[in-house]
This record gives sequence, structure tokens and C-alpha cells, in this order.
Amino acid sequence: METLLQGTAEIRFTHPDDFRDWVRQHKRREMVEKLLTEREAISRYVADGDYIAYDFSSLTRGPQALVREIIRQRRKDLWVCAEFTLHETALLVGGGCASRIDVGFLGYGSYIGRAVSEGRVRVFDWTNGALASRMLAGARGIPFMPVRNLLGTDTLRRSGARVVNDPFTGDPVCLVPALNPDVFLVHVHQADAFGNARIFGTNLFALEAAMAARKVIVSAEEMVDPLEFRKDPSRTTLPYFLVDAVVHLPFGAYPAGLQARYELDLEHIDKLNAIQAEEQMQGYLAEYVYGVEDHAEFLDEKVGWRRLQDLARRATIREGYH
Amino acid sequence: MVEFTDTECMICTAARLLEDRKTVFVGWGMPQLVAMLAERLYTPNLVQVFEFGAIGPQSLVPFVRGTMGGPTNVYRSLSWSNMNWAFAYAGTGYVDYGMIGAAQIDAYGNVNSTLLGGTYERPARRFPGSGGGNEVASLCWKTILVMKHEPRRFVERLDFMTSPGYLNGPGGREKAGLPRDTGPWRVVTSKALFGFDEETKRLALLGVLKGLSAGTVLEGMEFRPLVTERLEAIVPPTAEELRVLRQQIDPSGIVIRGEQMRAER
Repeated sequence: METLLQGTAEIRFTHPDDFRDWVRQHKRREMVEKLLTEREAISRYVADGDYIAYDFSSLTRGPQALVREIIRQRRKDLWVCAEFTLHETALLVGGGCASRIDVGFLGYGSYIGRAVSEGRVRVFDWTNGALASRMLAGARGIPFMPVRNLLGTDTLRRSGARVVNDPFTGDPVCLVPALNPDVFLVHVHQADAFGNARIFGTNLFALEAAMAARKVIVSAEEMVDPLEFRKDPSRTTLPYFLVDAVVHLPFGAYPAGLQARYELDLEHIDKLNAIQAEEQMQGYLAEYVYGVEDHAEFLDEKVGWRRLQDLARRATIREGYH
Repeated sequence: MVEFTDTECMICTAARLLEDRKTVFVGWGMPQLVAMLAERLYTPNLVQVFEFGAIGPQSLVPFVRGTMGGPTNVYRSLSWSNMNWAFAYAGTGYVDYGMIGAAQIDAYGNVNSTLLGGTYERPARRFPGSGGGNEVASLCWKTILVMKHEPRRFVERLDFMTSPGYLNGPGGREKAGLPRDTGPWRVVTSKALFGFDEETKRLALLGVLKGLSAGTVLEGMEFRPLVTERLEAIVPPTAEELRVLRQQIDPSGIVIRGEQMRAER
């Protein structure tokens, strides 16, 4: 197939056979307990230079505690898949952790925009749907996915997609390369110690990304007995063998909300929204990330039981989340 | 005299365009408020589709600013899935309308929501980028663009083409490989309503806010949109619209605030 147009972006690409080899060698089929602390999980499974992706959003069920731990451990040179991310990418850039971002949605507020303008981080433009399609290809063990958008735009020219003539219709079609992240982070409602996990509500690409990623870290709001999954298997989001580490992190999405468990903390989110200058960013990180040992200390000292109880009390919408 | 903000005016004008018993792909931000207002006043059977996989929610008010995927946004949906399926509904032709915002637009309805000025590597101003906007503008049957009325946003040449309008004119989309018979349908601003000329696919002024003239509205734009012979006078936000917006959807007033405007009833 002749390439009609090729986007200029650098891409992270893995040959499907190389990914299969990784799965064969590294993903354990035996059911073993994978419970770790967040410090152990990030230190063991997130390396400098890794490509990371996460699910769902900054305001709902985002893996915020895990992201803070990455910053606390001062990982460097990460490549971030940014989607539904209002704050995480800004924090990762502010913490000096991220050097490249695949955009979806870059994040809002002037801090992240300025970081791009000043050349402190490189961006490659894709679209939310294109990144989801790339993840699907990665999850299917195939090298690319054809899509019927991006076509005709600068977004395509700045992405790493290609246009070819489709052999079936003869029309131009856009091919997006499979994405196999090094790390996928996800906060879930329930998990067992082996890594079986349940998400209630919508998601971006939780199953696709968990299947496509080399290393998967699950933080769980609630730990449940493995038998629970066998008694109600249609509600399993991730089967255990996709998952490398399980971290029990109640309020692990804070300051985001978790559906039917706690509401988002708009006051804290406004602190994040207000970050514009570098010193504000460093002030935030010093207080809320570097200034505490771990998530438990963060909740104890920076949020407090009363506040958490109040957020939990306000999560009154339960329908559908069970 | 009625007083309102430019944001309120844009939301109300857009809400009147939606069609009941149809599907609409709703983008992040203003389009969410448009859909919420329309659902409450004009199109109770409008089925909203969201990129994270919610189909047909009956969203609760007040709107929690910034959220799109929280429990109030997705309340009593018909289906919850994920992004690959959400865009698949648009890809297979199930979604009648798409609704997104824009920072810049050209005469063919092509949209920039990525950057302004400078170079790609070092833009003067960097915005969030496509999000799901490119999918919506590519795959839905008719796309509605919602933006504040600032003439400098209407440019001859975009700083970056994030999402496709009619590209370079008639047949441009089909030639590029986009699904046939799709494209931008209306552009709603806080002072005007535009459509697209069938033959040339160029932006055409259809209406102006009551009391304004075409000349005032178009002044300062880099290109001259076509002007329809019988211009519609856009009714300013009604008392009922403002009541629902201010009392139910955004009682904090944070999302609907903006530049103050006034018009004759």
C-alpha cells in the first residue's frame, strides 16, 4: 500500500510479536497475590523514560494517588498519553517527570500551555479517539487501526498517523499505529489481591489499555474476596493476569470523585486550576506531594477525616454503580 | 430591555437549533450547557452521546463545572460504555448532530482549538487540542460550532487546522476520505448565526441578534461571509431560558458569566 501522507510525530511503537514476547515472559498466569504499597508499586513498575497512560479523568476516578507517588519518586523523561487530563499532565510536567505528551486533550489552565510554548515539554497532537484506537490496536495484537477521521487536518500532519488508499473501498483512509504503553495506571472501585478488578460507570479505554500495556498498576478503593468475581463474572472489568500490582488506596482518586463513593473536592480542584506560575506549581507540589510520605499521610494531614467524610456523604447517586 | 452575558446568549441560540428525537454528540464545556438547556426547554427526547461512552443521560443540575463523566453528567443514561464504542456510534452514522467549541474558524468551517501564533513547537498560545473534537467534526452528520463572537476568531487562514470543516471547499471532505454528506451545519456565536452556502460551502450569515446589523456583526472579520437575503432576527435569551440557566443549570454563575450584553425584547 502506497503511503499518501505521513504525519511527522515521533511515535512509541512496538512490533506486535515483541509485545507478545513480553506477555509470554513477564505476565504471570498463576494466581498470586500482588498487593503492594504505592511506593513499592511505582518503584518496581515505573521506570525513567517509560510511556504511561491512565484512566479515567482528573475529576472522576483518576488514579491521582498513584500519579502523586510518581512525582514523589521523581521519575524522569516520561512520555504521557494525555486524555481527560485537566491536571495530571501539568503536575507531571511541574514535577519534572514528563518530557513528551501525546495529546488527546493537553489539559487546561495556562501552566501547561506555557510549558509547551517555552519548550519545556514536547507535544505530539493526536485526538482522543485516535489514541483510543491506538490502544485498541495495541490490545488486539495488531499493528494499526484504520480510522475515518484525522483526515485533511493539521492534527493528522502533526500526529504519527499515515494515510493510504484503502484496498477495499479505494478511498483514502487513516492508519493509526498500535500503542503499547509501558505502564497503565487505573483506579478501580473493587479489586481482589490477584488483580481481578471492577470499574463501575464509564471509562476511556480501561480494558484496552490494560491489555496493551506492559505493566499495569491498579489502585483499589475497596478490596474484595476473589469469589465475588466468580459469583458475578459479567461485571469483571480486568481479569487478574493483566495486572502486575494491586495497591489498596481508599480515596485514591482524591481530589477527583469516585462514583457512588465520594464527591470531587471542588475547593482543592480550584487550587489546581489556579496554578499559573512556576512558583505556584512548586509550592503546590512541596505542600501536597513532596511534603508527605505517602497517600495515607496526605489524607491525614492535607485533607482530614472530616472533609473525607463530608465528600463521602455527598456521593448520593448510587444507581448503576454496583 | 433584557440583560444577559455573551455566554448566555450563545447557549440559548444554540439550544434552539437542536432537534427533538435525534441524537447529538456533545463536546466538552459550552456544548454540555446547550444540551442541558435544550433538554429542559425544547427537546426532552434528545439523546445525548458523550465521548467517554454515556448514551442518553438525563443529566442532573446544577452542572458541576469542568466535569464530563461524573455521576451528575451521566445520571440515568441508557448505556454506559467507553470511548471506542462512543465514537463507533458516530462512525456508523447513528449520530445526527455534533456540537463542539472553537478558538478560530475559517470560511469553510474548519476549526482550530490547538494553538495561536508562533510555531508548532513554540506556539504563542497553546490550547488543549482536539480532545474528541476531530472525531465529532469528522463523523457526525451535521456539526454545530459554538463560539464567542469575536471577529478576530474568523480568519482567512487558521494557525492550525484541528478539526475539519469543508477543508478547501466543495468535495474536499470526500476527497480526503471523510464520510460523505457530513460537515459543519451551523456556527453559533453570541451575536450571530451562520450556515454554509450549499454550492460554495462557504460560511453564510443567516441571522443576527435583534437590534444588530449585519455590518456590525461582520466588522473586523478577516474574510467576508456571504449574507443571506432575508436575515433572521435572533431573539435574545428569553426569561424562561435565563431562569433555567441561572437558577437550575449554573446557580453559581461561574460558567455562564461573560461580557454583559443587552437587547430589546
